Amino acid sequence: MNKIIRGFLAFLRRNPALVGIIGVTIALSIITDSFLSVYNIINVFRQTSIMAIMGFGMTMVIISGGIDLSVGSVLALSAGVSASVLSGGYAFLGILVALVVGAAVGAFNGFMITKGKLQPFIVTLATMAIARSLTLGYMQGMPISRFPDSFTFIGRGTVAGIPMPIIILLSIFILSFYILKKTRLGLYIYSIGGNEEATKLSGINVGKYKIYVYVISGVFAAVSGMILAGRLNSAQPTFGTGYELDAIATVVLGGASLKGGKGTVYGTLFGALLLGIIKNGMNLIGVSPFYQDAVKGAIILIAVLMERKE
Amino acid sequence: MLLEMKTITKSFPGVLALDMVSFSVEKGEVHALLGENGAGKSTLIKVLGGVYQPDSGEILLNEERVSFHTPHDSQQKGIAIIHQELMLADNLTIAENIFLGKEPGNAFDTKFKVMLKQSKKYLEMLDFDVDPGKKVGDLNVSEKQLVEICKALAYNSKIIVMDEPTATITQHEVGKLFEIIRNLSEKGISVIFITHRLSEVYQIADTVTVLRDGHYIGTEPVGNMNENKLVKMMVGREIENMYPKYNEPQEKVIFQVKNITVDGLKGSVSFDVRRGEIYGITGLVGSGKSELALGLFGASANAFKEMQINGHNIQSINSPSDALKNGISIVPEDRKSQGLILPFDITTNLALPNVKNFGSFFNVLWKRIKKRALDEIKRFNIKTPGENQLVKNLSGGNQQKVVLAKFLMQKPEIVIFVEPTRGIDVGAKIEVYNLINDLANQGIGVILISSEIPEIVSLCDRAMVMHRGKKVFVLDRTELTPENILKAGTGLVENE
Repeated sequence: MNKIIRGFLAFLRRNPALVGIIGVTIALSIITDSFLSVYNIINVFRQTSIMAIMGFGMTMVIISGGIDLSVGSVLALSAGVSASVLSGGYAFLGILVALVVGAAVGAFNGFMITKGKLQPFIVTLATMAIARSLTLGYMQGMPISRFPDSFTFIGRGTVAGIPMPIIILLSIFILSFYILKKTRLGLYIYSIGGNEEATKLSGINVGKYKIYVYVISGVFAAVSGMILAGRLNSAQPTFGTGYELDAIATVVLGGASLKGGKGTVYGTLFGALLLGIIKNGMNLIGVSPFYQDAVKGAIILIAVLMERKE
Repeated sequence: MLLEMKTITKSFPGVLALDMVSFSVEKGEVHALLGENGAGKSTLIKVLGGVYQPDSGEILLNEERVSFHTPHDSQQKGIAIIHQELMLADNLTIAENIFLGKEPGNAFDTKFKVMLKQSKKYLEMLDFDVDPGKKVGDLNVSEKQLVEICKALAYNSKIIVMDEPTATITQHEVGKLFEIIRNLSEKGISVIFITHRLSEVYQIADTVTVLRDGHYIGTEPVGNMNENKLVKMMVGREIENMYPKYNEPQEKVIFQVKNITVDGLKGSVSFDVRRGEIYGITGLVGSGKSELALGLFGASANAFKEMQINGHNIQSINSPSDALKNGISIVPEDRKSQGLILPFDITTNLALPNVKNFGSFFNVLWKRIKKRALDEIKRFNIKTPGENQLVKNLSGGNQQKVVLAKFLMQKPEIVIFVEPTRGIDVGAKIEVYNLINDLANQGIGVILISSEIPEIVSLCDRAMVMHRGKKVFVLDRTELTPENILKAGTGLVENE
């Protein structure tokens, strides 16, 4: 028993975001009546799902020593392109189109980084601008709406009382966890971020696996786009603006290092939930939206400082 | 006595790094500080440099008690430390580096002309003819060392500490450096010289102090010491044979390459290795031997007319993965940057090139890898509390054993060892040599690339000497002497 408690305490020490979640949850339960209700908790999870799913892709990118600034624009582009198919009534085809668009931009990022030998920051900064502009052009700056019910189900539906976004979130979480923990790709992602040169000399095709990582990140951004479009029954060219920074924040809150080689998907899940709970709590208490980002920034700094002390 | 460090004790959590160590230096003396890795040399130097504060003990400078709380304190008192990894800004000029932190003039009006003029003066003191306006990034390692020495002179240093300055420069440059050290000592500047090459102690030092496992072992004038006595002081026991050799080369050729060209090599190289043979490749820094190693392993661009491994023709080696598939393995030159992922544990490091043998792409069998890791720890006698230990917490010798285990797990036909004993202690060195012999006796062809001439002379059956990117000589066992290697390696003799 003692061992379990000690193990849990060690786990808490490695995951300051979880400590934050527990602390903020206790505080909000005392301050407000509405926070600790099943309805509100499910609400927090649902609102967090988009950020968390993008965060899982970003986790892999950051562990491999890279960064992906294009995810917000990729979300918009994949939603926008698929919207024209969706509004014709083809739900399945529309989802497929979105995933292909996400994968294609991710593959482009990966190719430029490995074959073009460019820095991930620069490449994805450029694709962030390109994808956003293509989205605006393709949609002519107008939203595309009215999708089939079979599609909006993924944003609005529930299975056994659990909203679909949460089910998708948990599925992607398990998938990402499995990739990092049990597949060769997972080992290579960590080792590329830990020491790229040593990984290369171990006979591993570093370029190929880096491309995989950016493809995964692009696909996960597209999944987030589908959830968002499904929930609103509409795709808008401004979708996902600034989301890349939230995704990076969840990963950093989750204990990953921007230097690479370190990080976990459960850490990212905690990071996303912490940000979600704080946002929810601030709305419940009535903190002015003008100051909400300041609080978010402060939380990120505190979490990173706590980790540094370790 | 210029400097006296008395009964210095320093401990870190779990380790007593220095236990009542005393060390003193006279004016103008060249004092060698000798000891294996982990003996406490660098801790002692860091105490002297103000990086660490001792738990107890005192430092006297000119009979006066001093305490250094920061590196700056120590610098102000005339102590300069030249680290093995040189602390220069490559993007600044020589003059700017020499005067970094003490520029003439003020922050808004720096007197760059004065700086250049005074730098010239220091450079001339060392007979170093170079434009002080040149960027430090354009200099080679030995020239950068000279800039560090000028920097020390600009601080008016009375004591200059050099941490293994000869590890990364050529034989010729070592000679020049020694001349400068003698010159400094004549001017009354004391030099503390850290090295692991015993021969250099005899060439340059007046006095030698030996540390072992954080203890002070003794201080003697160099004239009183012979090599065996020094080794015994360092290692703590009699070493019968520093370079064991018991491999038996067979007739059959296991590896043959004709006309291989590699990025960074001027000419092309051909050679062959027999089963059970230890084939040496040596030459000065810049001779191209490291480049050849990377080329043979597919880590840099290469092309060859013909390659045979164990009788099979090899079409191309375009990546390390090609090399490993064809039975060529490597023990890379720099274990920290090329061999290991330092922040990861032993299991993960061992898994990296071998994971394909444990489960499928989508299902890595970590439990089996862990079990194998425990076997390898035993087989290679790696001293660690467990397979989950992070590699960065291991000593140099044990880190090197992890590299060996990692690259030997897949039963290669050919192993390229690149500087396999650099920076590891005598005990671990002998273990590596034994392992090389054992591998050869299993019928593997060993290519030993090394700049340590005694290693090549004692271990190899044949050795190729390279000079300026070309193969200049192949010496048979009977011709393998340090003199022949030096003659060939400096380009005095050429054939082929």
